[in-house]
Amino acid sequence: MDSLHAIGFYVSAALAGVGGLGLAFARRHQRRGLGLGLVGLGVAGAYASLSAGFAAVIALLCYAGCALLIARTDYRTVEQAAGTIWRQVGAVGAALLFAALAYAAFRGDFVHATFYGGAFGSLSLARLMFAHDALATEAVGGMVLIALVGAAAAWRRDRPRDDREGRS
Amino acid sequence: MSVSLVSVMFVSAGLIALGAFISAWKRQLTAALTGLPVMFAGAGIAFAGVARFGASASGPPLIGQEMAVLLALAALAAVGLAVGLAGRESSR
Repeated sequence: MDSLHAIGFYVSAALAGVGGLGLAFARRHQRRGLGLGLVGLGVAGAYASLSAGFAAVIALLCYAGCALLIARTDYRTVEQAAGTIWRQVGAVGAALLFAALAYAAFRGDFVHATFYGGAFGSLSLARLMFAHDALATEAVGGMVLIALVGAAAAWRRDRPRDDREGRS
Repeated sequence: MSVSLVSVMFVSAGLIALGAFISAWKRQLTAALTGLPVMFAGAGIAFAGVARFGASASGPPLIGQEMAVLLALAALAAVGLAVGLAGRESSR
């Protein structure tokens, strides 16, 4: 990997990190949508730096969709019942998770192999997804379809009259 | 400057932990679920890194990239379903 790809990877990783921090600390849902878009942009850049161009395009589209869902105007909030102490315990747990994963990455003895694929890899991925792992691809496609149909059904059904007419 | 599998795993660990922190820290359910795509992004970067640096020549080398694609799709599905369910829950 040359220096240009390395710079692209680290800049993209920093972009994803900044977007994630924005997600964590932004108060308005439009800014959280922007943060999720930044995460998607950073992840797509990291994929592209790792010679996964097709995955980068798919990730960019999917995370843009996620960001639009979060930033939509009829966004609704649901408060969780968890108290402050449990949120703090969860935050400490996330820090411990990072420490454990970083230690495993730092101490891990990884094999290094030469990469023979191209920069985009759509043809090889298509062969893999639709011939070698067709059942797994169909399963994920079915899961996405069911999730989106369920989301549409949940969003459309049993709305109060005020909501349907645009009054809140 | 170079990128190795260790640095990729380090970035992946950071994103996974950041997603877990978002899910644990946010009070609102719809805000907390935005940690899920971040965790999936971290896992996808780890898979793509293994496909780039550690794939053996004997097996299919792009399984990691395939997993990254499927994780991005799963993240979109999870966010769509959760936002839809949250909208249904609060409309009652």
